Amino acid sequence: MPSDAELSDNDRKPKIGPSSNSIDQSLDAIENQLSSISVSQPESEPEFDDANDASPSNQDKLANGSLNENPGAEELPRSNVVEDFSSSSLMWRNNSEEMEAPSSPSSSGYAGERGSSNASSRASGIEEEVDGEILEIGNSDSFDGVSDSQVQWLPGKRHSSEVSPTEATEKDDASISWRKRKKHFFVLSNSGKPIYSRYGDEHKLAGFSATLQAIISFVENGGDRVNLVRAGKHQVVFLVKGPIYLVCISCTEESYQSLRVQLELLYGQMILILTKSVNRCFEKNSKFDMTPLLGGTDVVFSSLIHSFSWNPASFLHAYTCLPLAYATRQAAGAILQDVADSGVLFAILMCKHKVISLVGAQKASLHPDDMLLLSNFVMSSESFRTSESFSPICLPRYNPMAFLHAYVQYLDVDTYLILLTTSSDAFHHLKDCRVRIEEVLLESNVLGEAQRSMVDGGMRVEDLPTDHGSLSGAVSPHLGQPGHTRESSDRFSEAFIGVGGPAGLWHFMYRSIYLDQYVSSEFSSPVNNRQQQKRLYRAYQKLYASMHDKGVGPHKTQFRRDENYVLLCWVTQDFELYAAFDPLADKALAIKTCNRVCQWIKNIENEIFLLGVSPFSW
Amino acid sequence: MATSGNKNMNAKLVLLGDVGAGKSSLVLRFVKGQFIEFQESTIGAAFFSQTVAVNDATVKFEIWDTAGQERYHSLAPMYYRGAAAAIIVFDITNQASFDRAKKWVQELQAQGNPNMVMALAGNKADLLDARKVAAEEAQTYAQENGLFFMETSAKTASNVNDIFYEIANRLPRLQPAQNPSGMVLMDRPAQTPASASCCS
Repeated sequence: MPSDAELSDNDRKPKIGPSSNSIDQSLDAIENQLSSISVSQPESEPEFDDANDASPSNQDKLANGSLNENPGAEELPRSNVVEDFSSSSLMWRNNSEEMEAPSSPSSSGYAGERGSSNASSRASGIEEEVDGEILEIGNSDSFDGVSDSQVQWLPGKRHSSEVSPTEATEKDDASISWRKRKKHFFVLSNSGKPIYSRYGDEHKLAGFSATLQAIISFVENGGDRVNLVRAGKHQVVFLVKGPIYLVCISCTEESYQSLRVQLELLYGQMILILTKSVNRCFEKNSKFDMTPLLGGTDVVFSSLIHSFSWNPASFLHAYTCLPLAYATRQAAGAILQDVADSGVLFAILMCKHKVISLVGAQKASLHPDDMLLLSNFVMSSESFRTSESFSPICLPRYNPMAFLHAYVQYLDVDTYLILLTTSSDAFHHLKDCRVRIEEVLLESNVLGEAQRSMVDGGMRVEDLPTDHGSLSGAVSPHLGQPGHTRESSDRFSEAFIGVGGPAGLWHFMYRSIYLDQYVSSEFSSPVNNRQQQKRLYRAYQKLYASMHDKGVGPHKTQFRRDENYVLLCWVTQDFELYAAFDPLADKALAIKTCNRVCQWIKNIENEIFLLGVSPFSW
Repeated sequence: MATSGNKNMNAKLVLLGDVGAGKSSLVLRFVKGQFIEFQESTIGAAFFSQTVAVNDATVKFEIWDTAGQERYHSLAPMYYRGAAAAIIVFDITNQASFDRAKKWVQELQAQGNPNMVMALAGNKADLLDARKVAAEEAQTYAQENGLFFMETSAKTASNVNDIFYEIANRLPRLQPAQNPSGMVLMDRPAQTPASASCCS
């Protein structure tokens, strides 16, 4: 069954296009301009991963073997997204000038900055600016020839005539390099004030922000909500959180659901820094400028956005543990528990983004997403490495309205301790706690073991026990080998080149549903550079989205073959397994191998997971 | 608050000032003898301690290096409450940071410990060419408001130790024996909101 994804994509365009209302026209215009950019910028940098994401042309979905329970499990990521759009299509029956009207009251502060004040010029401004997010398309176009070639020539002229030469600075939406970015994130207020932009200078994007605000409020004024706009290869995903609007513009082929989850996390990160009480500022003053409140946090957001392309926690909603001997982790857990009993809400010991141990006070539970946001916040802020810190932070899933106070101290270069409390006076107590914890950790050599584990890395597909006979004795033989860790995001090393596992197994991820934890194998050949890892990660992400699609799911199994991989997904009540194989892998063997992976994980679960005192029973 | 033994005392010291004025740089220079050209923004507040010998006594500073970002302003009382000393830092090349420093002085005068030793530090004194705040202006302001003023440079280390020593010198005189226990660290004013929000 070839080409369903791409075909459906192409099918859709006519479906939107001919309905001849103005938004559709402007979407067409946007698309045209996108294409024109690709014409004028044919040398656009190649990013293979995304191009390949776009090519599940010979995917082959089957459910079979010991996994098969639901042969209907297939990806259908986009069709329901279209519904989001078409459900509001009635509302779009306006021309561009009318579209501008509802926005003018609130965006008036910006029209001035932008220097354009009459309706018609604003309307063309919308097209021009919406095309601003446009990133390069030329290189990844090989799969939708018809639709794109048909629009390519026309807008080339329009594009060149519409782009204002006065805006040709690097930092705003007129700059070519800005437009070529594949994935933009914007945060703005409901009055159109820019709050955050992944690329470029927020303040110079005021006009662009006002445009996004206009689109959102236009649809809202019609009593509807815009979730997604599709423009050629680009998706514009909207998330409205009270007075704060979040927008992602992407041509990375990620699913709508994935992008939306990413926007939710971005919002959560903002709440972690400011609490939701920031909304009150907007109640007092609708033109409130939030950027000063976020001063110095760019790096936190950019690091989070980066994690969207390497950290499975960002879509699995689970955290991962540093592999450690059971006794070692127990020793760490015991002292943390001791501290938690003395009035600490959460005590978390982490090594980079991996948990060594964590403990919550009675009945307090920590959501994995909060852990991702918290560890991202701590790791991306250099200032925590300098000394012990005591800082207000908010856990959005715990209580989005109130600050907790976080005592943060790095115990060595990778390992840090976070103690959370509700009391702003607790610093000296927490400091004493840290001293005690540190003593115990040094005594029981937890820190040394953690360092060793970081160097050794986690599970390797090469070490997959070969048969049931050896399973019993195969308790983590891999954990002692040198090699690169999966810290591929910041220090990928070529030191260890795996050769792949049995039956063409390249990689797997296993998520335990009860524990809210996942474990992921080390990358091995041939998935051994960042590009390939990112591509695999995106494939998993897509797989996850399709398995959890609310419209048709939840699914039990999925087997998919394309020219890059065989991907196999298996979801049960207890766990989810995602595995990637050589594209030529035999299906029956692959399924058998997945069963062995599950058995292997079960055998060593007390080393790779944090068991027992789980505060996550929520 | 300063806690005095016979010859040793602990003194809580807080640094306040605008973003980028150089609070962290001053502290790092004083505590670790380091200087980093592009110091990252502080999150919340960082805690340091450093002991200095003054005459024949020692003063152990417990230093709160607060973040200058606006979102932390409402939380500042948490850090300056009970402090025996404060250094209000501004950047001599940035008039706005001097204005901000004045606001901090006002706030401390209104809310802080009345016996607090306050120092005004005009930091980045090495950047003479870019000076925007005249030394005389700051000196006059400091005198009028009961602070002592020094121009410092965390980069060249000029006056950095001096300002801390000067504070240490002034502390005992301002700490009569009537409060020997000094255990006011946990003694927070009742009117302080329990859960501060970022922008209330």
